[in-house]
Amino acid sequence: MLALDVRNVTKNYPGFQLKDVSFQLEKGYIMGFIGANGAGKTTTIKSILNMIHVDRGEVRILGKNMDEHELELKQEIGYAFGGVDFYTRSKMKTLTDVIKRFYAKWDDAAYANYLRRFKLDENKKIAELSAGMKVKYSLALALSHGAKLLILDEPTSGLDPVSRDDLLDVFQELVVDGEISILFSTHITSDLEKCADFITFIDNGQIIRSSEKDEFIGSYRLLNGKESQLGQVKDRLISHKINSFGFTGLIHARDFDPASDIQATTPSLEEIMIYFAKREDHHG
Amino acid sequence: MVNLLVKDLKLGVNPMFLVMPLLTGALMLVPGWLYFLVLLYFCWITIPNMFAGFRTQNDLMFTSMMPVTKKDMVKARVSVIVILELLHIVVAMIFGVINTHLYPNLVYYFFAPSMGFWGLCFVMLAIFNIIFIAMFYKTAYKYGQAAFASIGAAMLFAGVAQWIGVESPYVSDIFNGTGRDDMGLQTSILAAGIVIFIVLTMIAYRMAVKRFLKVEIQ
Repeated sequence: MLALDVRNVTKNYPGFQLKDVSFQLEKGYIMGFIGANGAGKTTTIKSILNMIHVDRGEVRILGKNMDEHELELKQEIGYAFGGVDFYTRSKMKTLTDVIKRFYAKWDDAAYANYLRRFKLDENKKIAELSAGMKVKYSLALALSHGAKLLILDEPTSGLDPVSRDDLLDVFQELVVDGEISILFSTHITSDLEKCADFITFIDNGQIIRSSEKDEFIGSYRLLNGKESQLGQVKDRLISHKINSFGFTGLIHARDFDPASDIQATTPSLEEIMIYFAKREDHHG
Repeated sequence: MVNLLVKDLKLGVNPMFLVMPLLTGALMLVPGWLYFLVLLYFCWITIPNMFAGFRTQNDLMFTSMMPVTKKDMVKARVSVIVILELLHIVVAMIFGVINTHLYPNLVYYFFAPSMGFWGLCFVMLAIFNIIFIAMFYKTAYKYGQAAFASIGAAMLFAGVAQWIGVESPYVSDIFNGTGRDDMGLQTSILAAGIVIFIVLTMIAYRMAVKRFLKVEIQ
């Protein structure tokens, strides 16, 4: 079953366009949603949550159309928006007391459990929490109302490596039972190398590719060659950089002849992102 | 809807604004003052501060994530405004009664705190609501222009009404002269004011919902 099914979502802004965004997330998995700043990650997430009106397209969550079942589906969605704060001068306790009233399946025992597990003190004000604690608080809320789909926008941005690693472990534990699915946007690609099952890559408002992580990485090759070899592959490269040793460029694996004498390696997610961004500089 | 109302009262509205009616209401004890001002303090102080609070705390986004309809979001917010307005007006009315007992022989230059006067106050708040609520929900976060226009209109109404009350012997007689003891007349002015308040606020709510449905939450 699909936890999230985004189909042909299109939205025009002056100066920016979300073009035919489509991707699917299977239930029980973590999908990393990557792209540079301004690539359209947050806009896509806001379209999923029905916060902005799309010009075209459809979003289905847990098999139901979001437009038609918004209220019912929002009961099943948990969210954490990194870097956006709400009612920071209020105590967690006060905020929770207000929030829990909105959810039919709120479970006080589960909430108390998550607070303990995440070492959160209810009497602290939101402003007193570290960035990592805030994400954990959002997760505690989401999990206590029985959210099946977690939509996390940049949850690890601004966190130190220790807290990031800690959170990633939490994410992985959550999906173990196969009930919870996570869509997780970030520009810190190393996080995804650790915990994502699927990768969806958005660039300049368009989905470049959405697939299983290893397949995603495996579909590209990073080439290192001498400048003299550049001519052999130049028109097939997604983009390249020239340095004093020669050139480095990204190519679709299908476009690359493994028999070639150019040295090819598997790129990291970060390298894929960078070379795609560079492509625009060339053409833009 | 009730949950949203609780949310606003617990998180969004500073308790200070719930006590304000007592403070501004006490201004009714100033003998012979221009009593429209008592309620205008609500428009001048409570409204801009409260809406600034909602904006700084990202209330719009916070609320949009909840399983609630946009219609209920507007309904709850309009209810908060109306509840505060009623608190202000009812407390002011009580202080108005104390006023008339404290100063039985006072000659009022401006409107005396009669029931008819409170009817005019309801009309003033009705004018404020229809402009403020309808304008605010074009964006659901920019409150400045809406506050400026609505407060201006409410003040204009109060100013003109009061000017007529001073200048026209007929109107002066209704509110401050013999008409003040005519319970039937006074109650009907109050009733008419309340009806105008309800009608204009309902229209404001409907316009706000229509506009808010088109708002994108950024």
